[in-house]
Amino acid sequence: MESALLRRIITGVVLAGLFLLPVFEPHQFVLHMLSLVAISATVALGLQLLLGFSGQLSIGQAAFYGIGAYASGLLSTKLGLPFPLAFLAAGLIAALTSLLMVPVTRLTGAYLAVATLGFSILVYLVLKNEEWLTGGSFGLMGIPRASLFGYVLAKPAYAYLLCVSVAALVYLSLLRLERSRFGRAINAIRQNEDAARACGVKVTLLKSQCFVIAAFVAGLGGSLYAHQVRYLAPTDFTFWKSVEILIMVVIGGMGSLFGAVLGAAVVVLLPEALREVGDYRMLVFGAILMAVMLFGESGLAGFLGQCLKPFSKR
Amino acid sequence: MPEALLETVALSRRFGGLLAVDAVDFQVERGAIHGLIGPNGAGKTTLLNLIAGALPVTRGRLRFRGTDITRWDAARRAHDGIRRTFQNLKLFAEMTALGNASLGLHGGTRSGIFAALARTPGQRREERAIAQTARRALEFVGLAAQTDVVAAKLPYGHRRLLEIARAIVAQPALLLLDEPAAGLNQTEAANLSGLIRRIREQGTTIVLVEHHMDVVMTVCDTVTVLNYGRKLAQGTPAEIQRSPEVIEAYLGSAHALA
Repeated sequence: MESALLRRIITGVVLAGLFLLPVFEPHQFVLHMLSLVAISATVALGLQLLLGFSGQLSIGQAAFYGIGAYASGLLSTKLGLPFPLAFLAAGLIAALTSLLMVPVTRLTGAYLAVATLGFSILVYLVLKNEEWLTGGSFGLMGIPRASLFGYVLAKPAYAYLLCVSVAALVYLSLLRLERSRFGRAINAIRQNEDAARACGVKVTLLKSQCFVIAAFVAGLGGSLYAHQVRYLAPTDFTFWKSVEILIMVVIGGMGSLFGAVLGAAVVVLLPEALREVGDYRMLVFGAILMAVMLFGESGLAGFLGQCLKPFSKR
Repeated sequence: MPEALLETVALSRRFGGLLAVDAVDFQVERGAIHGLIGPNGAGKTTLLNLIAGALPVTRGRLRFRGTDITRWDAARRAHDGIRRTFQNLKLFAEMTALGNASLGLHGGTRSGIFAALARTPGQRREERAIAQTARRALEFVGLAAQTDVVAAKLPYGHRRLLEIARAIVAQPALLLLDEPAAGLNQTEAANLSGLIRRIREQGTTIVLVEHHMDVVMTVCDTVTVLNYGRKLAQGTPAEIQRSPEVIEAYLGSAHALA
């Protein structure tokens, strides 16, 4: 009970800190970068459910992220849909598309990974070549800023608060899922599929549900991205983006929601911090990734947990 | 004659060129502890897998409570009251004993994704009930003190008990035990016999695949002997021990050892 209370207090303090941050750090660029962290964290949280909880390796999450981004961008530029509706529609459209993945949930491991990768490539090609809809390689321009109830979130601080709110909501929702009958069952599927089946778990159904949830969340992240950056190009949603999302989850710590957020922060901010290194920054980035993985399979979240252990145990 | 709880009709399973289970007619009476024995490779575990739905049937039919369940998948059978343990333990290694036992209640409970997100009163009530029932099952098998221990950290004998707890927590109509005494010492095996009887007293019918003859002969009402995938004999433990063909095929060596 005590450690549960401690965890609640820490979560509360961290959230309060994130929400109050614009008061102390009003620098536009910093807020923009942190908004991008929150957006990536949202997408990574979805993949954490899929990979870390249910054990399904997808390297195609950029597809759903891209579908959400373009859906939201198109709905608001072409149909003039207000942001909250375009935002929800982006999630739903990404979730609907993910139903195409239902047949591949029968696959596992490398086979599943390649199938999702194939899907990601398909979506990229559609975004690039269906010029009548997506603008093709020129991209989609003139996406309006996010707005709530007619009020445009023009200040970077407001856009930041929106992104953090969505990320926090997704985080807390997935936390509830993790500690439910559904969460136990998908964890069981990862650990032993036969045993899960013998307990009455409908394995294929639950695996598909995980795909849909992860896609929905990725779609929401995509919508935030569209209205944050306000210009979309197909190259934002290539195979590399899928890999980035995967890196976030793995270096953050598989199975840890907090880890997904940490991983997103590292993957988004580290290349920025390494700008001084110039041309070598991706080299350094790669080396750092390798070093983090050498710390062990539980990633940054596990490492942090080890550091905090003396304090939480009494 | 009372209707059997479980009935297989000419049930067969082929693996390539091998008929692992060959036209087996097998009835389990309600309330029985029904032993299933035979030499290694006789098809005992395959038959158990066919009953549990872990393997598809090649030919023949399965009836449970009078309903044809031949086409049902494993999850549906589990949901409907057929639970099993595994010969080579299949626990959820990273979960606590309580988590493992809770999973056993998945089939009989309902709360889904939206209920969990909204934390509806019904969902919270169900979660509490799951934890309570799971705790009771752990107590029942003698793992009350290990409730919060991660399964991978439990000693071997306890892991065997945890598999049983997970299988009986939903009070199934039929429990399939696949060599539950394997690797247990004499004391643990004797305790297991007691536990199996107590499970039956709760109203669960049991099919027991076991090599440990002490356990089979002390707890079973009926024993079926399989050899090369075929039913060789069926009777009370005493009859089986006296049957010349069984002794020849199987018990001959076991008797010499005992």
